[in-house]
Amino acid sequence: MSTADLSPSISIAVQPEGFDPGVEYQQLRSTNHADGATAMFVGNVRDISSASIGHKAAASVLELEHYPGMAESALTAIARAAADRWPLGRVRVIHRYGPLKAGEEIVFVGVTSPHRQAAFDACAYIMDFLKSRAPFWKKERAAGEMEGNWVEARNSDEDALKKW
Amino acid sequence: MIKVLFFASLREQLDCDALEVAVDGLSTVGDLRQQLAGKGAVWQTALADERLQVALNQQLSSADAVVSDGDEVAFFPPVTGG
Repeated sequence: MSTADLSPSISIAVQPEGFDPGVEYQQLRSTNHADGATAMFVGNVRDISSASIGHKAAASVLELEHYPGMAESALTAIARAAADRWPLGRVRVIHRYGPLKAGEEIVFVGVTSPHRQAAFDACAYIMDFLKSRAPFWKKERAAGEMEGNWVEARNSDEDALKKW
Repeated sequence: MIKVLFFASLREQLDCDALEVAVDGLSTVGDLRQQLAGKGAVWQTALADERLQVALNQQLSSADAVVSDGDEVAFFPPVTGG
């Protein structure tokens, strides 16, 4: 074998299927002894119905639409930008699409680095850019209802990019 | 021809997810948007939304981006993933 591979290993998935954060952690760590730090973020579908007054807590559904092709390339570009900025060994990003139920996993970001702060920062950076730059859209609907409401983008998400 | 795509609330508003447009007379993404707005009242209203984002060949882009034959242009509302 030649010298150490300096480029990080970046793995992106855009899929309707669920994922197991435990399995993802094992894969980030597998044969990876150079990195002492692993940071992970998991986003879950919130139960919006339990938060709305006057509604009984029927499970809600989140419909995730994406732009096939661009979603993958946008996530890859964001992961690469993070890897250019911090010393990362592995980067794994998973984003689901399709109908998702309350409590299900929707997004996963996992990074490894020799340094703790770099791992934390890269994970937060990827999530911040993903929220404002990756082509996914959410529609919320109550269980049993056909009509839903598109989630509006928040100014705070765009503001979050300014700190980077 | 230019392949044009619409996503999310914009797709529903227009009741259209994709169409093909002849490149004749169009030089930029802004020209394309203006031409599409001429398709009717619904199109005019929907495409007047300043918050709409545009991607040229799957890269976020702006109104002055130059379009040519075979390009893919997508219009969509601000993204809300994660």
